[in-house]
Amino acid sequence: MAHPPEPQAAHDAGRRDATPQDPPGQGAGGPADHRGSLARRLFPDGETPDPRVSLANERTFLSWIRTGLALQAAGVAIEAFAVIPEPGRKAVAVLLLLLGMLVSGGAFVRWIGIERAVRLGQPLPLPLIAPVLGIGGAVGSVVVIYLILR
Amino acid sequence: MDRRRRIPRPAPVGTAAELDRGLQPERTTLAWSRTALACVVVSAVFLRWLEFYGLWLLLMPLLTLVAALTIAGTQHRRTRVGVHAIRHAEFDVDPLPMVLLLALAMVLGAAGLVFVVLA
Repeated sequence: MAHPPEPQAAHDAGRRDATPQDPPGQGAGGPADHRGSLARRLFPDGETPDPRVSLANERTFLSWIRTGLALQAAGVAIEAFAVIPEPGRKAVAVLLLLLGMLVSGGAFVRWIGIERAVRLGQPLPLPLIAPVLGIGGAVGSVVVIYLILR
Repeated sequence: MDRRRRIPRPAPVGTAAELDRGLQPERTTLAWSRTALACVVVSAVFLRWLEFYGLWLLLMPLLTLVAALTIAGTQHRRTRVGVHAIRHAEFDVDPLPMVLLLALAMVLGAAGLVFVVLA
């Protein structure tokens, strides 16, 4: 079955470059920039990217937020349900909660960074929260296993 | 006369499946639903402390339920805007939902820290 071709915007680098057909001012900061003030402040420059890239970036942000929320739930549960004995339980709970907040904040920073990079046609920023989550998760798991087995 | 016909129904949301076989708007809407559910689940864990801290603790699930209902109430519009964006190859990103969600996650985390330290 023949599928209709995807729009050209899906095949470029994820950036919808301005074309001669575009009305003037479609770029950021132009006189016809009809975006909200928050969007103009966070993304002052560049061109509107392919919507699919922005939607994928949004889903990645949501996925990281859910990871942060899961860490926070684990932190609260360890203390509230007394999963592991004291001493050490409160410290593990606090560390998990801090890690969850860090991941959530990092998710937002990364979402902005990717959106800006795509708007400007620049390389995507490195995922700095990924190693933080990996190292934090590994250390936390080792500590929890030690506290349970001791 | 059939009463069911009088019930107003929201306009059906079209898709842009012929242009976007990945169904990006639909997947994004589902991601928001999962996130809303995750927020409610996190706040539900706080209820374990209900006897210790009292009824004030109900503010946490109340807050996340309001957030979840807000997300659920805007899902129809979110999908419609996404489909429109795919069809017209332009999408004005609205950072406000992300900012509010981040604020909610931070409030949950800060409340968790306070309750853990005081417990």
